[in-house]
Amino acid sequence: MTLLILYSLACLDGLLCGCRTAMGRCPFIGLRSYYARALVRGFVAAQLASLAAWIALSLVFLLTPQRSLLEADLGSAARRMLWIFLPYAAAVLSALALRLLPSTDIRSASSVFLLGPFTAIRPFLMFAGVLFGIYSARLPETRLLGLFVLALMLSIEAILNRLAAHRQSRQIADLVSSERARPAKLEKGM
Amino acid sequence: MTRGGQVLPRPHLLYAFPVVAGYCLVVSLRLLRPVASRPYPLRSAHMFPPSFNAAQPEITDLIVEHDPATLERLAVDKKRVLDTFLAFRNREAMAAVRAIPDRGGFLDARAVDRVMLAVHWEMQRLAEEFFHGQRVYELLKVVLAAIAAMGIKHPLRVVDVGCGIGYAIRWLAARTPLASEGIELVGVDLNDTLIREAARLAAAENLPCRFVHGDAFSARHAGHVYLSTGFVHHFRASNEAGRSDSEALYRLFSRHDLPDTAAFLHYDFRPWALAPLGSWFFHILRMRTAIARHDGVLSTARAYSGAALTAASRSALPLFSSGIYGANIWGTPLPRVFHTLVGMRRNILPAFRAGLGVRAIRLGEMV
Repeated sequence: MTLLILYSLACLDGLLCGCRTAMGRCPFIGLRSYYARALVRGFVAAQLASLAAWIALSLVFLLTPQRSLLEADLGSAARRMLWIFLPYAAAVLSALALRLLPSTDIRSASSVFLLGPFTAIRPFLMFAGVLFGIYSARLPETRLLGLFVLALMLSIEAILNRLAAHRQSRQIADLVSSERARPAKLEKGM
Repeated sequence: MTRGGQVLPRPHLLYAFPVVAGYCLVVSLRLLRPVASRPYPLRSAHMFPPSFNAAQPEITDLIVEHDPATLERLAVDKKRVLDTFLAFRNREAMAAVRAIPDRGGFLDARAVDRVMLAVHWEMQRLAEEFFHGQRVYELLKVVLAAIAAMGIKHPLRVVDVGCGIGYAIRWLAARTPLASEGIELVGVDLNDTLIREAARLAAAENLPCRFVHGDAFSARHAGHVYLSTGFVHHFRASNEAGRSDSEALYRLFSRHDLPDTAAFLHYDFRPWALAPLGSWFFHILRMRTAIARHDGVLSTARAYSGAALTAASRSALPLFSSGIYGANIWGTPLPRVFHTLVGMRRNILPAFRAGLGVRAIRLGEMV
């Protein structure tokens, strides 16, 4: 159950990372399909990270001579992590829910005063959550797995951001060179 | 491997995990570092606030120049731009300008265009987050209804002056019935790269609006309603040689006095003590380009107060009533990020007030 909750949180984090890294990189007005693709990219990234974590976990289980002890240790570390991650996820989801209200002031304020600061603390919160989880772990394998998962979590947004930056740079470079080569007909005059 | 009968893990295999975890951490930290996307600065190398000195120009004011008579693009001397920011000891701006490649001492026009597009794509995000389209429509529909009530015949023309890539006009074209009601939606800008992009985006989404490279206040492109976003604060002494701030502002507003022009709505940052700090925090979190971060923060320092805006518009346009709309949030002392300078011919004002309904409380004194 704990693992399932952690997996769900990783998926949610992946979705939001996908959305965040896509923002400000598409200048159209109709952005529904653009953000849908961004969410899918984030979800896929979360699946890859989860797969990597699962492979690492399986390898450790395969190699360790004390499986039952490791299972219990991992379970308690994961439960401790939830003490940090669940309230954070609830706070982020509540801030997102505020954006459903019809007031432009409340929706803007939720972005500036809630979602912005939540984004700012995300890396620190991930450190805090994982460290809180593995701090009292009994086995080194648990600590190492925790650090590995932390690295994966932090990598998701950085990698998605890098990919999106490359895509955007290419698009803009193509736009500028094509405009210079074939100037579009432009209404012009004083 | 056992110790005292207890089975211990095989350490040589576990050594792989610190190595992998360490590698992943290093890769993460490297990726989190600013991506110096050469040859133009898509990322800021600085996390510290730039100078909040409102006397200096924004980077985008200096890296593009057009001949005011012919609108032709002029070559920009990189050293002159750097010297301008050196005078203000603005190292962040200098770093951003230095990152733009040059040819024979003049800024590479293609590189500048790439920067301008990246910055304006990114700035659109700010408009999306602040629901700027909805805010403009909320006021514009009342102004248009008030003008129509005065018997001014269609087609009314709404001109977004200094429209950049035309977010407000494209949003109005896409999301409101204005175009189908016979309102002509036009964006005008002096920057041909941005106006081309606005036209491309509008064509790609098949939007009923058009974009013009030119002077919005010329007789040819005059509008019944002028609107702008983050435009008025560019009319500063630092951008207009030989003029004071108030003279630059007076000159801008006096150009609104055209026979067909009935109203204007100018949205800009509302200056107050914490605005540059708030803007800095917001831009650090949300903006990726060094120039967007720098100019976004400086804009809040350069923005005119409501008193300065109304004083200039009232003296330049004696036939218009003007005032500030939406200075505070819900009648509290809390300032809004943006306020709006609203001006209109005096005969329109009663219908406008009536049209605002409960929102009339947001309207300041109209003189």
